[in-house]
Amino acid sequence: MTFRIPHSALRILAALWRLNLAEELQYRANFVASVLGTVFWIGTALLTLALFFRHTTRLGGWDYWEVVVLLGVFNALTGVIEAVLRPGIGRLASEVRNGGLDLVLAKPVDAQGFVSFRRLDVWHLADVVLGLGLAGYALSRLGRVPGVLQLAAFVVALAAAGIVVYAIWVALMSLAFWFVSVENLSVLFDAVYEGARYPVTAYPGALRFVFVYLLPIAWTTTIPASALTGRLGPEIALAAAAVAALAFVLARLLWRAALRRYTGASG
Amino acid sequence: MNRVADWARRYGALIRNAWLVDLQYRASIVLWIIWGVTEPAIALGIWWSIAGEGQVGGYARADFARYFFALMLVNQLTIAWDSWYLDRWIREGDLNYRLARPLHPAHEAVAENIAYKARSGGMILVVWLVAALVWPAVRLPLAPGRWTLTALAVLLAAAMRFFISFATGLLAFWTTRATAIMGLHGGVALFLSGRIAPLTLLPPAVAGVAAVLWFPYMLAFPVNLLTGAVHGTTAVLHGFAGQLVWLGLWVGAYRLAWTRGLRRYGAVGG
Repeated sequence: MTFRIPHSALRILAALWRLNLAEELQYRANFVASVLGTVFWIGTALLTLALFFRHTTRLGGWDYWEVVVLLGVFNALTGVIEAVLRPGIGRLASEVRNGGLDLVLAKPVDAQGFVSFRRLDVWHLADVVLGLGLAGYALSRLGRVPGVLQLAAFVVALAAAGIVVYAIWVALMSLAFWFVSVENLSVLFDAVYEGARYPVTAYPGALRFVFVYLLPIAWTTTIPASALTGRLGPEIALAAAAVAALAFVLARLLWRAALRRYTGASG
Repeated sequence: MNRVADWARRYGALIRNAWLVDLQYRASIVLWIIWGVTEPAIALGIWWSIAGEGQVGGYARADFARYFFALMLVNQLTIAWDSWYLDRWIREGDLNYRLARPLHPAHEAVAENIAYKARSGGMILVVWLVAALVWPAVRLPLAPGRWTLTALAVLLAAAMRFFISFATGLLAFWTTRATAIMGLHGGVALFLSGRIAPLTLLPPAVAGVAAVLWFPYMLAFPVNLLTGAVHGTTAVLHGFAGQLVWLGLWVGAYRLAWTRGLRRYGAVGG
C-alpha cells in the first residue's frame, strides 16, 4: 500500500475543481438557496436543543452552549460531506451498477482518489463557515477562550474527524460492489450520522459503545467539540489522529478488496 | 356493483405491479426503513437519558419508549414520497404518458403507497414484536377497540399526508423548488407533528399553534390514540373531526393545484 501523492495528482485536482467552480458560478441563485437551507436546518437543530433543555439542564453532562459548539462542528462536517463526498464518491453505487466506473478505471490515476475528490460543490463550503462561526459564537457564550494548545488539538481532532467521515463513506460505498442493486447506500450514512448531532455521552450504554467503536461517529463531533471546549485534554488529539489513521487504512483495504470484485458492466 | 368490481380489478393490477417493482428494490426499501427507525431511536435515546429515573412532563422512560415505537410505526404507515415523484414527472415529462392513460395518475400513486406501506409497515411491525419479546417497556396492553380506532386514524392520516405531498409536488408546475418546499414542511412537522417529542412537552405557545394546524393530525393523534394518551369520547371525536376537516381542505388544495397546473403545463420531453 502506498500513500505517495504524485505532483500530477494535485494538478489534476486543481483542474477538476476549477471546472466545477466555473460550472457552479453559472447558478448563483443556488448559493442563496443553499445558505437559506442551511440556516433553516441550523434553526431547527437549535430549536430541538432548546426543547430538550426545557426539560433538563444537562445533556449527557454537557450544558446548552457546549452542545451548540458540537452542533457547529457537526454542521461544518456536513458542509464537507455535501461539497465533496456526496457529489463525488456518493455517485459510486450507480456507477458500479451501470458500468460508468469503467471510464474511471481506464484513467491513469488512483481510482479511489479520483472518485473521492472529483467534484467540489463550492456553495456548500458556506456551511463549513457557518458551522465554525456557530461553534465560535457558542464558545464565546461559554466564556471560554481556548489556549493555543487547545486550538491546535481542535484542529488536529477536526482534521481527524474529516478523515473518519471520509473512511466511513469509502467503506459504505465499497459495499456497492457486493450489493449491486442498491442505489441509495448514502441513505444509510444519513440515518446513522443523525446520531452525531448530540454528545455521545447522552446515549444509553449500548448505543454509546456502537458510536465509539463500531460506527466511529463519536470521533467526528464529540471529540473535536470536547477538545475545543477543554472538556478533554489536548492529548486526545493524538488518540483522534490514531483512530483516523486506522479508519483510513481499513477503508483503503476494503476498497481494494471491493475493486477486485468489479468486472465491469458496460459494453 | 359493476363499477365497484371494475375499480377493484384496476387497483388489484396497479397494486400488484407496484408490489413487484418494489420487490426488485427490496434492499433499497430496507435502507429507507433503517432511516425511518434511526430518527425515532435517536430521539428516544435522548429523552431516555433526560428522563433518568424520574418523569418529564408526565412521561417516564417506558412511556417514551412506547411513544416512539408507536411513532415509528405510524410514520412508516403514513409517510408519502409523492411530491418527489411528481416533481420528477413534471420536470422530466414523465407525466405525459400518464396523462394519456384512461386513468387519473393519482390512482397509480395511491396503489404505490399501498404496496410500499404494506411491505415497510409489516417490517416495522416485526421489529416491534421482536423488541416487545425482550423489552417489556414497549409492550402495549391488548385493546382491540383502541387498535381499531387507531387503524382508522392511521388511514385518515395517510390520506391527508398523501394529499399534502401530492399537492405540494404539483407546485412543480410553477417552480423548480417544489421538493425544497416539501423539505421545509418536513422541518416544521418535526416539531408540530410530534416527531421529536410528544406535543405536551412543547412550549405551550408552540403547542397552541400546532393545535390549529394540520400537523398533529398527521402523526401525534394516531400515535396518542395507540398509546392511550388520547382517551375519552370527547377527545377521540375531536381528533377525528380535526382529521376530517384538514383532509377535506388538503383535497381541495390538491384539486385546485391539479386543474390550474394542468392548464399551465406545456409538456417537456418526447
